[in-house]
Amino acid sequence: MTGKEKLLSALKTKGIKYIFGYTGGTIMPVFDEMDKMEDFEFIMSRHEQGATFMAQGLSRASLSTNNPQLGTCMATSGPGAMNLTTGVADAHMDSVPMLIITGQVATGVIATDAFQESDVVGVMMPICKQTYMPLNADDIEPTIHEAHYVATTGRGGPVLVDIPKDVQNDSVSPKYRFNVKGYRPVLPGYLYHPAPDREPLDRAIKLINKSVRPLIFCGHGVINSNAGALLQQFAEKVNIPIAFTMHGISALPTDHPLSLGMMGMHGTVEANKAVMEADLLIAFGMRFDDRVTGKLNEYAANADVIHVEIDPSEIDKNVATSVAVNADVVNTLRLLLDDPLLTYKPRRRWFKQIDEHRKVMKDELQAEIEEGVGDTGKLLMKTIVDKLSKVTKGKDLIVPDVGQHQMMAARFYNYQTENSWFGSGGAGTMGCSLPMAIGVKLARPKERVWSISGDGGFQMNMQELGTIMEHEIDVKILLFNNGYLGMVRQWQTLFFDGRYSGTPMQNPDYDHIAQAYGIPYIKVEKVKDIEPALKKAVAQKGAIMVEFDCDPSEVILPMIPSGGGFDDMIVTRPGKEKSALKKKKKGSKS
Amino acid sequence: MKRRAILAFMLDRPGVLNKVSMLIRKKMYNVDTLTVCSSRVPGISRMTITLREDDIAKVTQVIKQLEKFTEVISAKELDTNKSYWREAAIVKLEIDSDHLKSLQDRFNFEMLEKKNRDIQIIQVAGSTAQIDTFLDEIGRENIIEIARTGVAAMEK
Repeated sequence: MTGKEKLLSALKTKGIKYIFGYTGGTIMPVFDEMDKMEDFEFIMSRHEQGATFMAQGLSRASLSTNNPQLGTCMATSGPGAMNLTTGVADAHMDSVPMLIITGQVATGVIATDAFQESDVVGVMMPICKQTYMPLNADDIEPTIHEAHYVATTGRGGPVLVDIPKDVQNDSVSPKYRFNVKGYRPVLPGYLYHPAPDREPLDRAIKLINKSVRPLIFCGHGVINSNAGALLQQFAEKVNIPIAFTMHGISALPTDHPLSLGMMGMHGTVEANKAVMEADLLIAFGMRFDDRVTGKLNEYAANADVIHVEIDPSEIDKNVATSVAVNADVVNTLRLLLDDPLLTYKPRRRWFKQIDEHRKVMKDELQAEIEEGVGDTGKLLMKTIVDKLSKVTKGKDLIVPDVGQHQMMAARFYNYQTENSWFGSGGAGTMGCSLPMAIGVKLARPKERVWSISGDGGFQMNMQELGTIMEHEIDVKILLFNNGYLGMVRQWQTLFFDGRYSGTPMQNPDYDHIAQAYGIPYIKVEKVKDIEPALKKAVAQKGAIMVEFDCDPSEVILPMIPSGGGFDDMIVTRPGKEKSALKKKKKGSKS
Repeated sequence: MKRRAILAFMLDRPGVLNKVSMLIRKKMYNVDTLTVCSSRVPGISRMTITLREDDIAKVTQVIKQLEKFTEVISAKELDTNKSYWREAAIVKLEIDSDHLKSLQDRFNFEMLEKKNRDIQIIQVAGSTAQIDTFLDEIGRENIIEIARTGVAAMEK
């Protein structure tokens, strides 16, 4: 058998069915073999970056199913591999398991600047959990098994295997043996702690019982260890409110009475105020990213911190912990739930305090949502998301791109399905939505998937409409078109005196673009047409694109300015727009 | 800034040194010294890194992130008072033999080659401070060429 056959049989053994990617000179032997084997479904992206997001979508959406799959992408050497980098860095930031296989020039010409040669391992090393370059055919199969193990255990991440073309074609040696069933990776330095130690857990329980104003943080780790339901039980057992990181969204229902919604830069007033006032933070599976904490020296100054996290290097990185629990979230919650010492408290004063914060922007936001249009008379994104939430009863899978619309989708969709929110967090990669939605749909074919993009991000990967067309992938595409890069425009409104440098853009005729790919298209310009269009998208069998004519002056509030603290939270709209809102309110009264 | 020594054991695999140096660069340190050698166990390397940092929390972060590498088996900071830090240097110098002889009692050096009456090559070993003092005493202006190994360290 040859290296390429060993590669593919190893992938098959590890349950990999979908391969996303793009062929080329140095990966051709593998593609040729793949064609012969007929065990894989190859999904051709139109750009290698698209393949990485499709793989991410598959990994993330499938982890809560009975069939978790490792998103796998393949590309050729040089430009093919380099085009993968953005999506790989994105997966690394967001702890998404992914396997990347790249072809490399033959060993005889490596490091001679051969055609389409680049130092892929060198480039990928800082943005991968691990990188490999097997240099003989015998190494390929064990490498794939180790790569799969590293990608999917502990804190997930992308793993690269770069295989020179001659190694793909070489036969394994006559003495080659590999025991698939008995395989255990030999990685003495790779330790992760799935189960918590008893001692920190006891200290954590004492702190929880003592606390008057505790707050739970639900991070990505809760989703990654399928612990949403357990976290909900835990919160109910001890009667503690929950704030979510962006990637923690959808771990449990958004409208749960204990939920305060998302925290951080664009988090809710109640979540952020509660963080400020809490005397105990119980953080599950998160890394206290700067968009969550704001200015670190002012962050949760009066609170003890219990940090449950699988990656020990995240503990005490940004926020000093009182109790560090280096373990998997699900195992920690199981132990906590069974602990008879944990006590329920009514916490009436604490909840009353939080209820006061809930009121701060509630009426204003509700009025905006009901109005449906902004100062320019064009549609508000929050209204569209609110209506989408109602039409789908909050049960669908939401794949936002990056920007204002993403924050609207995070805040105004009422998530009811566990693990139903996918997007780019740490890296904030515009253009992720359309390809990621493809991967999500392949992982959960029976559920409805909505890709929501702004006009900026959509155009970064809109070539993937070709993949949607070719594989007849049923993704509902919502395009929030405001003719600007909305989030940057919001910063320019708030912090750059309204100088819109580099944000306005001329858009193509999306009707024609949708048509060119054979995708039905609806344009919505009026509030009354939003719901019918969404219902039509629901009824449509197969992909559909709905473009909304959105108000560029809409802002997502509250907002904590970059580098600011929670006290700097902006809760009222800026000057001009604020007065316009007042006028409208007056008008409606009279 | 305080000099810190980090001792790490890791699998002897290609690219590990690359990863370690990239991490140190990413954390915005300049490596003072870095030495790698094989350990007692075949296939496992021993690495000693010295860098300058006052904040212990930041050093802990570097160590935790080193430990995060799949290949790294363990990493820790070595306490200055509870460990030996030693290095060696080979020095080619133009020096009066009598002057050199006068230093023999205080420094641990060995003559490797006497090229002619004035030019000699010597080997010196000791702590970084000892070597520095030795070089000061022979006179830095007398040094033609110098090769220092960097720090190797071990706990007491």
